[in-house]
Parts: sequence; structure tokens; C-alpha cells
Amino acid sequence: MENIVTGKNIIKIFGKGVEQAKALDMVNVEITKGEFVAVMGPSGSGKSTLLFALSGMDNISDGSVKFGDTELSKLRENELADVRRTKMGFIFQQPTMLKNLNLLDNIILPAVGDGKKDTVSLGQRAKALMRKTGIDGLEKRDITEVSGGQLQRAGICRALINSPEILFADEPTGALNSKSAEEIMGLLVGINREGTSILLVTHDAKIAAHADRILFTKDGNIVSELLLQKFNGKDMEAKTEKVLAQMAAVGI
Amino acid sequence: MYSNFIKNDIRKSKLITATITAFILIAAMLTALAASLTVNLSGAVDNILLSAKAIHFIQMHTGDVDMEQLRNFAADQESVEDYQVLPFLNIDGAEIVIGDNSLADSVQDNGFSIQSEKFDFLLGLDNKIISPSNGEIYFPIYYMQEGNAKLGDKVTIHGVDFTVAGFLRDSTMNAALVSSKRFLVSEADFERILEFGQLEQLIEFRLCDGVSYADFETAYLDAGLPANGPPAITYAQIRLVNGLTDGIMIGVLALIVILVIIVAFLCIRFTLLAKIEEDYREIGVLKAVGMRVSSIKKLYLAKYSVIAGIACMLGFLLSVPLSEPFKQNIRLYMGESDRQTFLLGLLCGFVGAAAIYGVVLMYVNGVLRRFRKISAAQAVRFGSPREKSKSARGFLLSNNRIFPRNVFLGIKDILTRKKLYVTMLTVLIISSFIMVVPQNIYNTISAKSFITYMGMGICDATLYIKPTQAEDVTQKGTEAANSLATDENVEKYTMITTKMFDMKVDDGSTQKLRVSLGDHTAYPITYTQGTVPQTASEIAISTLYADDLAKTIGDEIVLTVDGADKRLTVSGVYSDITSGGRTAQAIFETSSGDMLSVGIPITFRTGADSEAIIAQYKGQFPFAKVYGVEENISQMFGPMISSVKMASYAAIGVTVLLTVLVTVLFMKMLVAKDRYSIAILKSMGFTSEGIRRQYLTRSVIVLALGVIIGTIMANTLGEYVGVAIVSAFGATAFNFVVNPFFAYMVSPLLIATCVYIATLLGVSDIRPLKISEHIKEA
Repeated sequence: MENIVTGKNIIKIFGKGVEQAKALDMVNVEITKGEFVAVMGPSGSGKSTLLFALSGMDNISDGSVKFGDTELSKLRENELADVRRTKMGFIFQQPTMLKNLNLLDNIILPAVGDGKKDTVSLGQRAKALMRKTGIDGLEKRDITEVSGGQLQRAGICRALINSPEILFADEPTGALNSKSAEEIMGLLVGINREGTSILLVTHDAKIAAHADRILFTKDGNIVSELLLQKFNGKDMEAKTEKVLAQMAAVGI
Repeated sequence: MYSNFIKNDIRKSKLITATITAFILIAAMLTALAASLTVNLSGAVDNILLSAKAIHFIQMHTGDVDMEQLRNFAADQESVEDYQVLPFLNIDGAEIVIGDNSLADSVQDNGFSIQSEKFDFLLGLDNKIISPSNGEIYFPIYYMQEGNAKLGDKVTIHGVDFTVAGFLRDSTMNAALVSSKRFLVSEADFERILEFGQLEQLIEFRLCDGVSYADFETAYLDAGLPANGPPAITYAQIRLVNGLTDGIMIGVLALIVILVIIVAFLCIRFTLLAKIEEDYREIGVLKAVGMRVSSIKKLYLAKYSVIAGIACMLGFLLSVPLSEPFKQNIRLYMGESDRQTFLLGLLCGFVGAAAIYGVVLMYVNGVLRRFRKISAAQAVRFGSPREKSKSARGFLLSNNRIFPRNVFLGIKDILTRKKLYVTMLTVLIISSFIMVVPQNIYNTISAKSFITYMGMGICDATLYIKPTQAEDVTQKGTEAANSLATDENVEKYTMITTKMFDMKVDDGSTQKLRVSLGDHTAYPITYTQGTVPQTASEIAISTLYADDLAKTIGDEIVLTVDGADKRLTVSGVYSDITSGGRTAQAIFETSSGDMLSVGIPITFRTGADSEAIIAQYKGQFPFAKVYGVEENISQMFGPMISSVKMASYAAIGVTVLLTVLVTVLFMKMLVAKDRYSIAILKSMGFTSEGIRRQYLTRSVIVLALGVIIGTIMANTLGEYVGVAIVSAFGATAFNFVVNPFFAYMVSPLLIATCVYIATLLGVSDIRPLKISEHIKEA
């Protein structure tokens, strides 16, 4: 299978001098097209830093990150922005919406060009996504007028508006109750089945159990890997047990 | 704890702290300056009036004065403390030769005098009474300022030689606005030049304290004492005229102070609100653990009290050396103020700066009142105020087909957060205002039409014939007029005769009224109210007369003309600075009344060489004084026009600085405030340029609004401010003369350039902003 993201010998250092800290220390990652990968680890283990590094949102101190065949560090800021806008989607723990736009406008925002693109068909596409994620009818609401779960669904709609090749999700269920979290994960699995790769960061074994493969990070390194594909798809409890066992094994 | 809190806070926001400090410092400095200059000016005016024993009432008269009659009058009037008659020998400027030059171009009435014995002394630059030796001449300080004469120059008057031995301060005629100037020579020399000029008498009085000058003037005129010169001048007017030039400067300073304080307040308010928002959670926590609002307030107040304290102290200290150049003019015309005044000036300056300190703290305290509104629970839970953004619902990205997305987002932001942009809008309005108003004032007072607001019509030259210059003024006037009628250089002219009439006052007594008769429509002036007299039974009066007599349009004035009562209706009121400001206009014909002067305004044909013609007239009509209007205006108003011009350039400089500083500050704070949204946009693939375009869009919209409103206000409201300043010149109502090129092109473009550059500088933090560092804070 072809790699969509390839990270080689990634080093990320924060701070300078005596205060400096290695957040990522010679990390190697490969994500193939259509794969659903979860990154797990305790706070400060470098899992979010890895997500920012692989998505090109943060530059790395050394090593290389390729998106397909493109070396991200060689792109200029604008080219990098274009890649992010057209080929990647992002979901964060807190719903990152602009306060002064309503839900629909927030969703179509990444797709509105600088030219006079047809915003009507864009609106229809956004509404289709909203129907799919179960928040149709909320188009005109302000972001303060919907629940956290609804807002996170809208975040997924926004991430999907440009039909990205990969979705980066940083603790997407962290601010939600368990029922909403399950629903969101169901959506993500569905999206992955339709062909979109996903890189998900979480500290929750139940959430990570939805992935095909789990990477465990500790002190800036990937210390272990767990393949879940071979376990039967539907038995989530068994998968979760497996994840917890692996976590205990690597000591995180 | 306080000192650490303050230190950290200042370290974190150096630019903002520096800007606010600068504004407070400037405000404190200018306030201290204005306060200390006011004290010094009034002290200096008092000082010269005291040293010179200034007159309380002066009447000029041509011809003999009956000393016996005067003595009886003075003895009868209890209010008279002392009186004297001084000679004033009119000598034509062309006959006062200094080296290779002469005073021919001077519009002043130049007169020679001897030192007085009792009061109204002419003082040297040390404020001591001068006693000139033979062969010495003392020039009025005005000519030293104008550069006509310097110490040691040789002066010749009809072959009599003098050496300039010094310059003199004249409590009565110092100011450029006063149209007569006195030269001082020894008594022996005075006798030698007596035959070359026309002698006028200055009849002067010192009055007891608390005497009404108006009553005294009436008593004087009623007694039939000589009064064929210009209207009497009193102590109050002398005081005013001595302080006027510097007073206007102080007025302009005060105006700038007010604007700087407003801007300082806007900056303080803006930074403080941003700071409160930033510290929202901390404030909530402090409240939650039971700290009192007043104690929390103290933390914030402490910082501003330190900043304002330092700024005001520095401002005061800076104002001391800075006041020196401003005081120079005061010093030159009126002499050193005494030590006591100097100390009082320092004290008032200090009080002024301290007042600014107090006002700033009061303002900060007022802004901090919103701490009470912060709910501890909400602050701890959400960490930021829950802004409601209900507005601009109709303006949707999903319906937008016109604007590129970044322009759209810029507009949308302004529509949603209107309050936030009010600060910058206000600053831009003020900027356009400060830039345009002084320019408008300058254009107005330097425009030809300006003199029509001051009782003069627009002409190229004026010929004046006074009883001092000719026996039969009317006959000479007609003679000149006839000659002008056939002069091919002359486009038009008219003859205005000014006479003194008796006027019946309501209580039955009589007063004198000076009336100009002739065709007033030929050289129209601007009326504050009403119109020019159109029938023989109408009269227009100057504002001073209107105030004195408490008359307005439609009221009746009764004059004694040809021995009978003539009832005239007031048709108009106008500002006038000529003839002491007390004049009237009518068109009836009569041969009665005391002749005061004949004036002939003349307009030359286009293309005629006015200077040459004026020079020719000076020879052709030796009995008349010929003024070219341009030199007249430039000599009378020149110093003021040039100081307003300087002020207007200073205003442009201040505006540019203000606009750039505030815009940079505003944009930097906006970016800091919006860093979370910027991180979101970046994560979605918006480029830094794109985001910058959003901020430029916001700037441009606020800029356009600010400049439009500011320019409109400058040309409407600004006129009232202009009136306040220009009324010091004697005009009470006028319309701005606007230079459209400057007001509608240069000024907006200049402000736009400043804002554009400042915005680019201010949003430079967008590019280095890291998504990963800001996206997690919600």
C-alpha cells in the first residue's frame, strides 16, 4: 500500500538552552492510504506534537515529513496552507469555530475561495454533510446556541468539506460525554470506510479501539504498536481489553 | 506584591505601556505649559502696565486742546486721578530713513513723542523709564521684531540725524494690532522735527479704582472735550491687546491638550479592557476565593498610578525648559516677569500636571468598575467573557457572492464587534479633525474675503484723508475721487465719509455715534445678522455698538442730523476691528456731523501693477494716506497668520504620529486578542497573507468611515471651534474657506497612508503565530 504520510527521524525540540526539552526524539511513522491510526500515550508523551508535526502545522527541528511524495518542510508557507486546506481535515478537542459566523458559514469556510466560487452548491454539500452527521436544521444557529456534541459534529463537517485525503483528529471526544463520544467515533469509522485516512490522538482506550492500528508514545518516542485489524471488527469490548493490556505492558 | 505585578505587566507589554506613558506625558507637559504660560503672560502684562503706569483712558485729537477746559473737567470729575496731554507727531513712513531704507511700506501711523512726566512712560528693554539724549532715537519694539532697525543704525528725518540707541516698550501701542507706533526722542530734537509732521494730541487720564470707563467716556464726550481722533481706548482694551498674540497660542495649546487627553483615554480604555479580558479567569478566581473588588482594583490601579505618576512628573519637568522659547515673545514685548510670578507659574504648572494625574486615575477607576460585573462562576468555568454575537445575522458567507472570503471575514468582524472598532474610529475622526481644522482656519484668515468679516470690503487699495492731513477733508476727498474717475487703471471706487453724530439714548441723554456714510454695497462686508442699510432710514451697527447700546435688528436709533431727530432702524450687525470696533453704516445724506475721515476704497483693473499705482498715488495725493490692501493685511495679521500656519503644520505632524501610533497599537492588540481565531484559520489552510488581508479590510473600512465623518465634522463642527479661535481676531461669525485639494485629497490620503503602513506593521505578528501554541486555548 502507498503511504499517505511518512515521518522519518523526526526530532522536535521546544525552548532553548537549559530549558530545552525534546518532545519528539527520532520518531518514525508511516500511515498508508485509507488507514485509521490512533496515537496513545500519557500527557506530555508527545502525541499531540506528533500530530502537529505530521500535519505540517508545526515545523520540526530535524528529520523529514512527507505527505505523499511531497516533503512538507520544503514547501513555502502558502503552499503548505494550500495542502492543509485541500488535502487535510482537522478536528480538535475544543470545537474551534469562529464566534462571529453561524454554523453553516463555519463549515463552508475552508472551501470558500478567494474568487467568486459558487457558494450555493457549496451550501448544498455542507447541508448534505450536516444531514450525514445528524445536525441538519442547525445551519443558522450561532456556535453558542448548540451543544458540545453538535458543535463537534459541525467540526467534522468542516473538516470534510474539501473531501480531504486524511483527517487529523486531536482528542476529538475529549470534551464530550460517553454517548456523544461513541456517536462521533461511529461517524469517524464510517468516514474511514469511505476511504479517508485518519490519524487520531487520544488517551482513551475505548476510543483508540476503533482504529486499525495503535501507536503508543512515551517520552517522545513510539515505544510500541498494536494491530487491531486482525481482531474481529465488531467486538469493541475485546478490542478495548487488548488495548488496555498493551498499555499496561508498555507501562503507560 | 504590587511592585512585582507591575514589573511583570510592564515587561509583557512594553509598547503599550510606552505609548500610554507618552500620551499622558504629552498631556501633562502641555497642561503645565499652558498653565505656567497663562500665569507668566498675565504677570508680564500686569508688570508692564504697572511699570509704565499705563493709561486708563486715552483720546487722540488733532488741533488745539483747551487746557483750561480740560483742567476744569478733571477737577470736576472725582474719578480722575491724574491727566496729561502728550504730543504725537505724525511723520510719514517714507520720511523716516534708516540707512538705505525707509518705513515707506509700513502701514502703521508712525509718531514721534517725548518722554512723559507723570504716567504712560515709554520703557526700555529693562522696563526702566528711558531718558533719551540729544541725537538718540528709540524705536518701537515692533520694528525690531520686523527687522526694520537694529541698535546703532543711523536714522535721518528731513536732514535731522539720529542714532538708534535702543528699543522701547509702549504699554499702549506695543501690539502689531494697534495701528499707531511711538518713537521716542529728546525734547530738543522733538522741537527740531516739529515742522515736518502733523501734530496730534494724546489726551490721557489715570482714573481711580473701580470707575466705569464707559461712564467716563460719556462724561468726557458730553463735556465737549476734543475728540476728533479715533475712538477712545481704555485700560481694559490695552490689557487685552497686550495679551492677545500669546493668548491665542495658549488657546491653541489648550485645544491640543484636550485632544491628546481624549486619545490617551481611548488608549487606556482599550488596553485596560483587553487586559481585563486576558485576566478574566484570574479575576474570577480572586473573586471566588473571597478577595474584595476594591482590592483587585488596586492591583490594576497601582500600575496606572505608577505610569501616570512618572509621566506627569516628567511632563512637568519637561515643560519648564520647553516654556522658555514660548516665553521669549512675552519677554521681548513685556519684559521679565518677577520672581514671584515665575514661582507662581511653576506652581500652576505643577498643579496642572497633577490635575492630569488625578483625571487619569479617576478614569482608570471608572473603567475598572466593570470588575463588579464579572461573575466568579462564569469566569472560572469559561475563562472568558461570553460575548454575545447576535448582530449582522443577515450577512452570511453562504449567501456571499461579491466579496473574496478574506474581505468578507474582515467586514463580518467589524459588523459583529462594532464596539471594539469604535476606539480606532474615534481616533481617526479626531485625526482628520485636527488635520483639517487648523488648515481651514489658516485658509480662512489668509483668504482675501476674511477682511469682510472684520468690517473691511475687498479692494486693492484705500485712500484715507483725515483732518490731521487736510483742512477740508470733504473737498480733498472729492478732488481725489474726481481724479480717480478719469484714471484708466481704476475699475471702480467709492467714497465713504465717516462722521460723528449725537445719538439720543433711551434715558434722554445723548451719546456719540460714529457713522460711515456712502455706498456700502460697492465694497460689501459680511454681516453677522441682517443686511446692509438699503434705505436712508436704515443703519447697520458693529457688534461692539450693538452690545454697548443693547440694540439688535429692527430696533430704532435716534440721531441728531441737521438739527432734527432722525429715526433709523437697525438693518444689520457686523464685526469690525477698524476704528476701535465702534462703527455704524448708513446711506442718508447730510452736511452736519463732525467730520472724522474720508475713505476711498479702490479696485484696479485686472493686470494693473498695484504696487506702482499705489506708489504713484502716494505722490499724487500728498494729503491722503494710501494703503495697499495686501501689505495692510500682511502687516496687521501677518504674525498671527504665520503662527496659525505653524500651528497647522504642527497639527499635521501630531496627526501623523497619533494615527500611526494608535493604529499600530490597536492592530497589535487585535492580533493578540484574535490569536485563537487566527490559529483556527491557519489550521484550515488560510495563508498569513489572506489573514492579513482580513485585518487590512477592517482597517480600510474603519479608515474610510473615520475620514469621512472626520472631514464632515471638521467642516461643520470645526467651524465653531474656528469661530472660538478667530473671534480673538475680532470677527464673531464667519464661514470656513476650505481648500478642497487639501481637505478632500491630501489630508485623507495622508491619513490613509499612515493607517495602511501602521496596519501592516501592526499585523506583522500574524506570520510567526504558531498554530500549535494557540489552538488549544478556547
